Amino acid sequence: MQALHTAATGMAAQELNVQVISNNIANLRTTGFKKQTAQFQDLIYEHVRRVGAQASDQGTVLPVGIDVGGGVKTVGTPRSMTQGTLSQTGNDLDLSITGEGFFKVLMPDGTFQYTRDGTFQMDNQGRIVTAQGNPVQPTITIPQNASGITVNAQGQVSVTLPGSTTSQIIGTIQLTRFINKAGLQPVGSNQYTDTPSSGQPQDGAANAEGYGSITQGSLEQANVDVVSEMSELIAAQRAYEMNAKVITAADQMMQSTTALFR
Amino acid sequence: MENALLVGLSRQMVLERQLDVVANNVANVNTNGFKADQQLFEEYLTSGAHEDNFQASDRRVSYVQDRGTYRDVSQGPIQSTGNPLDVAINGSGYLAVQTADGERYTRDGNLHLNNTGQLVTASGDAVLGTGGPIVFQPTDHDITISPDGTVTVVEGANRADSIRGKLRIVNFADPQAAQKQGNNLYAAAGGAVPQPDTKSTIQQGSIEKSNVNAVGEMSHMVEVTRTYQQIATMLQTQSDLRKTAIEKLADVPA
Repeated sequence: MQALHTAATGMAAQELNVQVISNNIANLRTTGFKKQTAQFQDLIYEHVRRVGAQASDQGTVLPVGIDVGGGVKTVGTPRSMTQGTLSQTGNDLDLSITGEGFFKVLMPDGTFQYTRDGTFQMDNQGRIVTAQGNPVQPTITIPQNASGITVNAQGQVSVTLPGSTTSQIIGTIQLTRFINKAGLQPVGSNQYTDTPSSGQPQDGAANAEGYGSITQGSLEQANVDVVSEMSELIAAQRAYEMNAKVITAADQMMQSTTALFR
Repeated sequence: MENALLVGLSRQMVLERQLDVVANNVANVNTNGFKADQQLFEEYLTSGAHEDNFQASDRRVSYVQDRGTYRDVSQGPIQSTGNPLDVAINGSGYLAVQTADGERYTRDGNLHLNNTGQLVTASGDAVLGTGGPIVFQPTDHDITISPDGTVTVVEGANRADSIRGKLRIVNFADPQAAQKQGNNLYAAAGGAVPQPDTKSTIQQGSIEKSNVNAVGEMSHMVEVTRTYQQIATMLQTQSDLRKTAIEKLADVPA
């Protein structure tokens, strides 16, 4: 009985759906997190009778065919790269991006990763680093005893050095864009790597050509909408239960057959 | 005697396939742009094996057969996602998609970009505009899709919008002529030619969900199981009847 396997694909799909939703809810307060949604497609159909086939030699055609589908599959869990809201922290090195770009981070193995999480700190050498201690690109070192760190919308970092009354620019944080940012691969720690799907990373200055502007003293919140996640969760759970019911129904039908002719 | 068994069997086979259709609908209750299938049945008559030996009223036996599945093409609920590349079609139209097997059609508006900036479906097939695939430049941002399907962007630091193409929306004179292919795709069947659709409108930032009526499918399923059990009972009765007949009639007194 095909229905058993069809319903099993439905249960598997909804299980994954719940998994994706729970990950979104778990990351409700994760800075720069972008929510994912599970997307489904129907499986291949058995065309028992083909629609439009000749029904007679008079040229009449079948107005409907018999198409029996084999269930559902998950095609992907794309990320919704919409802007999250900014929350004020007042911290000098908390940066957020309004727009398309990503911060570029140099990993210990020499590769680059990209993040929307602008919770930056200074390390023991005065470099601006992520919460994991990896320097933000291009590496900017804040001189000792410098005060009044400001980062403007273009990403220019300026400080006031001791003995001076005017601030001076010591570097510019660059942003990176991707033609298909939903194609980035998440690697955890709020970071992504580029993939063949995302396209080549394009570095550029903030606030130019849609790279997005930088806001100092604020962080981008997750773009998870808890109300819609909750309603999605209910829908996924009910869909799972319904598929389980179909399995029960198919089971009952088989039972009544095997009960025959004892 | 055999007829009751065979008629019952024909009904059971049809019911099994009906449950398969219900199962597929339920499995796709969360599939974007999915349209529920319903089954059609027909009676078919056969004459008995020894036509002349029967009374006129007994001559023809009607069996049941599934004639077809038809698609409920009603609009599915529209869910707002806020994603600029999610489009829902209001109306009976389909988006045209270029696949490896040729042109296909879809109602699943969960669109993406690929690494060359082309507008593609979740399976990576290019979405066709009126002038071929729609391609974005690396510096494009703020993608807007108007109700008539025109795709505009703001390029780089420009202030004015640039047009990147217009989604090709098509429909079929006979809605059943679009045959399901899986992967949320439809193919034009039986020589049907899709026509440009001017009535359907595009709603950006939303997705059309599955139009499967969950409650209806569940009651359908209960109906199928119960009918199946009834027929099983009927077959059992028939079998008992025959058993008794054999025992009684063949009981030759010594």
